[in-house]
Amino acid sequence: MPRLRATAIIPLLLLAASAGCSAPGANDDDAKSGSGPIKIALVDAQSGQLSSLGAWELKGARLAVDEWNAAGGVNGRQIQLDVFDDQGDPTTGTTLARKIDSEGHIAMIGTAESAVTIAMAPILKQAEIPNITSGQSPGLVAAGSEFLFLNGPTSTTYDETLAKYIVDKQGLKSIAMITNNGSYGKGEHDAFLKALSSRNVVPVADQVVTTDQKDFSAVLTGIRQKNPQVIFVGAEEVESGLIVKQARDLGITVPFAGAAPQGTPVFLDTAGAKNAEKTIVSSPYLSNDVSDASKKFAAAYKAKYNEDAELHGAKAYDGTQILLTALKSSNVATGKALADAIRGTKYQGLLGDFAYDQTGVGIFATSIGTIQNGKLVAVTG
Amino acid sequence: MQVFLQTIIGGVSLGAVYALVALGFSLVYRTMGLVNFAHGNVVTVGAYLASTFYLTSKLPFALAMVIAIAVTGAIGLVIERVLRPLENRDFDLMLIGTIGFGIVLDALVIAIWGATGRAVPSPVQTEPIDLLGLRIRTYDLVVLAIAAAATVLLVLFLSRTKRGAAMQAVAMDHEAATAVGIHVGRSNAIAFMIGAGLAALAGGLVGPLLYVSPALGGALGIKGFAAAILGGFGSIPGAIVGGLAIGVLDSFTAGHFQGYSELVTFIVFTVIIMVRPTGVFGERTVNRA
Amino acid sequence: MRTRLLLAAGAVAAWLLPYGLDSYAIHVVDVILIFAILAIGLGLAMGIAGQVNLAQVAVFGVGAYVTAILTTRAGLGFWVAAVLAVLATVVIGLVIGVPALRVQSHYLGIVTLGLALAFTSWVTNAQASGGAEGISGIPVPELPGVDLSSEYLYYYLELIVFAILLAFGLFVVRTSLGRRMRAMRDDALAAGSLGAEVPVLRMAAFLLASVYGGLGGVLYAGLIRYVAPESFNIANMFLLLGMVIIGGRQSLVGCVVGAVGLALVREALVDHPQIAQIAYGSVVVLVVVFAPTGLAGLPVRVRSAVARRRGRQGAAARLKPFQPYDPEPSRRDGETILQVDRVTKQFRGLKALDDVSLTVAAGEIRGVVGPNGSGKTTLFNVISGLYKPTRGRVRFRDADRTGDAPYRLARAGLSRTFQNLRLFGDLTVEENILVARDRSRTWESWRYLLRPISVLRRDRELHRHARDVLDRYGLAEFAALAPKSLPYGIQRRVEIARAVAAGPALLLLDEPAAGLNGEEVRQLAEIVRSIRDSGITVIIIEHNMGLVMTLCERVTVLAGGRIIADGTPAEVARTPAVIEAYLGDSMTAGDLPPISEVTR
Repeated sequence: MPRLRATAIIPLLLLAASAGCSAPGANDDDAKSGSGPIKIALVDAQSGQLSSLGAWELKGARLAVDEWNAAGGVNGRQIQLDVFDDQGDPTTGTTLARKIDSEGHIAMIGTAESAVTIAMAPILKQAEIPNITSGQSPGLVAAGSEFLFLNGPTSTTYDETLAKYIVDKQGLKSIAMITNNGSYGKGEHDAFLKALSSRNVVPVADQVVTTDQKDFSAVLTGIRQKNPQVIFVGAEEVESGLIVKQARDLGITVPFAGAAPQGTPVFLDTAGAKNAEKTIVSSPYLSNDVSDASKKFAAAYKAKYNEDAELHGAKAYDGTQILLTALKSSNVATGKALADAIRGTKYQGLLGDFAYDQTGVGIFATSIGTIQNGKLVAVTG
Repeated sequence: MQVFLQTIIGGVSLGAVYALVALGFSLVYRTMGLVNFAHGNVVTVGAYLASTFYLTSKLPFALAMVIAIAVTGAIGLVIERVLRPLENRDFDLMLIGTIGFGIVLDALVIAIWGATGRAVPSPVQTEPIDLLGLRIRTYDLVVLAIAAAATVLLVLFLSRTKRGAAMQAVAMDHEAATAVGIHVGRSNAIAFMIGAGLAALAGGLVGPLLYVSPALGGALGIKGFAAAILGGFGSIPGAIVGGLAIGVLDSFTAGHFQGYSELVTFIVFTVIIMVRPTGVFGERTVNRA
Repeated sequence: MRTRLLLAAGAVAAWLLPYGLDSYAIHVVDVILIFAILAIGLGLAMGIAGQVNLAQVAVFGVGAYVTAILTTRAGLGFWVAAVLAVLATVVIGLVIGVPALRVQSHYLGIVTLGLALAFTSWVTNAQASGGAEGISGIPVPELPGVDLSSEYLYYYLELIVFAILLAFGLFVVRTSLGRRMRAMRDDALAAGSLGAEVPVLRMAAFLLASVYGGLGGVLYAGLIRYVAPESFNIANMFLLLGMVIIGGRQSLVGCVVGAVGLALVREALVDHPQIAQIAYGSVVVLVVVFAPTGLAGLPVRVRSAVARRRGRQGAAARLKPFQPYDPEPSRRDGETILQVDRVTKQFRGLKALDDVSLTVAAGEIRGVVGPNGSGKTTLFNVISGLYKPTRGRVRFRDADRTGDAPYRLARAGLSRTFQNLRLFGDLTVEENILVARDRSRTWESWRYLLRPISVLRRDRELHRHARDVLDRYGLAEFAALAPKSLPYGIQRRVEIARAVAAGPALLLLDEPAAGLNGEEVRQLAEIVRSIRDSGITVIIIEHNMGLVMTLCERVTVLAGGRIIADGTPAEVARTPAVIEAYLGDSMTAGDLPPISEVTR
């Protein structure tokens, strides 16, 4: 019996000793300032279906951080980029938001998945950690956090540019839509529909598919009967590719149109280069040859990773550059001061000239390109 | 009308693949009364193996398939061997054991091939056939032909060979089969091996049709399972009919209910199971529970 | 005393835990506690009641989503929304449970899995649930004087809820309701024949699981304050399943241990999710093969292994002699208690029973004999409600009982044993008796919530009765043992004791002497006579002709599904048809057609 009592008391004593007399959680304040490396978190899907996006993001951000560190860091302090895997799951995201807070990261890069970023936003706002995301959903703006910034345009910009080109320039009015019911697809659906209705165009078909659907013969046959002049696709890379491939098998010959995913190599591979021909793409970063900056970036990217740079890497690179610039200009401020510094940063990046407004969006233009001979080529004029 | 027919065509080709998956489920079930929840993951492994040999090792598609089937057959043997101590002891535990294998295979696939997946170009490059405005992909016909051939071979194996007859005997009454000297463990192992091989066949065939990714098998597995139950679990013709039925049902719900298609498919499935638990061909359930 | 000390130590440790944790660690702990609550719910459905419920994660989602929708869209307060959410979850849980009335095991698994997918599909699409982006901005639950936005204080809220739920779960498992569920899990057929309302019990299991799921969902919504479809996907369902299996599904404490352990391992391997997944998948496989009772079962297994090595000390349990019942003086012998009227039972081309009529008077010991496959057991199955006759009626105690569910017949005073022994394998001998002795109705389980003391009082009474039964049958020393560990003859006696403990008017014994030695058969005859003298009518199927001839007052002979003779043993033995039927027929294997759970 005495032995039993002892086992009961030991953990009790240990806990009491570790507890001291304070209330739990009182020593929550962590060393966010001072010397040592500057800790920045990169949160993205490193596993799961969206991990290709996460991998691209990491490469772009890492490139920017390495360049700064090679040049001596910020105010003589090295930058430490810690990678966290959100698995594409919003709930994991909320856990990670708390984790990066408790580990003393002063800013966050990512995520590429709007739903995850939206889930994390309230916690990051409470913890006053600025976040530069690669998401593009209008829902990010609606989240209304002054600590949340986008490293590219929102779907509204992408689709407004696209609608302008298709309807105003090309004069195509018979348009069919296929979007998925995921967070990206829904954003695209709403944004493109809004852009069309502002031009008094009603789509001839508005089909919604699921994110893991694989057979589109039913929806595509329905669309074929409507004889549209162009088909808008709002889905991620792979699904867009499958839709285009199956549409061609069904004898649909009209061009497809869409935003960033349709410009990626994954889309081209999945659809097959021949099937993807003439696809109209709205993207802020059509190719690595648009400017001197992009050529330099693409060369560095190729040298470091031995693969060609693409949009997502470029966006993450831009976002990281903006963050580091703001850190420098604010003398490594944290919290609200750092957010204000980001908002004040004017930056000429790969995607264009960034100047943030109150909603956290810094860039409002995309360009139109088409796929010709398996390559995305800018449309001039 | 044209939409209707085209929808059916789309459903039938995927339905043939579901049928192959369902055959694998049914064969294992009728022989040992076990539902193999790892079956879908074996489909994924088969799809990756076939596409790897086809794309990376540049082997002919048919040869790539054969190798994939052989390797997954070996995986099937391993699963059966590990779970053998549970045979005829606890159904639910065995079922959970296969879920455990599924979890492991799922992680292994991602660890080996990555999480993103790959597109497989169709091995048949001919243009689709145009029939009064209906478009039929030639590869779809190949899939249907192979599925039919596999079914015929399986039926012949079960009815004409000694080994197959032994398996039939085990399926009907495994105690009596033991009494007449049939090695039940070996029969089960063969059933598992053929089941896994069929999974690989389905996975390999579906690769060029869809897109090979870690999530592939999960979707095919659950639809194939639904197909097997719908047709009458353990029944060979049931698996075929069930597969085609689920394929067409899926295709129609996708057309009519769009985003909600999955919801409708599973609710329809649930209602059918409740009305007729033994499925279409469920003349006798081989339940040893 | 020892458990109380451990409990107190655990409680103090849990209370002091937050003092040693940083803000992230406390969040992890908060999430783990929610998973522990879910695991208890799943353990109740799967481990205790044997219902393969792969929709627990959807039920969890319903709880979280309804809270989210009602607070953000309808503007309700958190607690009002929480109550409504739990109610909604219960409704959904019952809907998910409906298929369990028709199908079981893997069929149920796939149906519930399908319904879980249907739920994800719905929340991904519906406007109300915010689609794929989910719902953010769920308000912090308000509690006067406590700021629940602090995750440290939220921990205490969770801890209290968790402790109450765990205690309630254990209370259920160890008393009438849980015991019946476990009996149903081990053998639904036998449980039904002993009066357990199998359909009601199955629904009760789903109801319990959904209450736990719903409460978990509410706590989740209050903690994360954001919901999205991914959080309720199949991967998380399998994770939850892994927790329950690894921890030990038949023990609620095991489920909690599994949840905590697996969650901690995952947290430790958070940067290597594939390795974590391979590890826990492998552990699931290893556990089902080598330790089916999970971590919770390990101490018992280790103890019994040690005991085996030291040589059985526990072998001391001995069978005591049967103590005869006091004869019931006011028996109403002679009245008809059972009337089988022209019953035919057809199985796909095979006529197992063909126009069988039979009348049994109260106080009789009736023998039913016949060659193998003559339809004896089929007749029992029809009488006890396991089979519905193709034609004909069955009257029991002056009421038409044709096609009534077994549990209704059991409650009307019919009890039976089985040819192949159907004891509840994972219950102790005493619990086997308790299940039979317990005549309370399952719908009375509301008492668990409102009058727990009365439940406890009744359970004590039941235990007293069970003790009496065990003493009478000389089984007292086996009370705490598992039936499977006992010699065959003793198992037979336990089954008879169990059938009589149900307090029947009519007892059906299906080959009670099979596998018994001479002395045991003699004891059996003594027991059966005493049972009859206590006022219970007995019908007995037996191949042991010596036993039948000495024990039975009347004998009915079946052959090929028809009655070929009926009368006193001496009359029957002289009937030419009987002699003919028995010539050249061996009497070996059983003739119980497979009773399929699915087809019922």
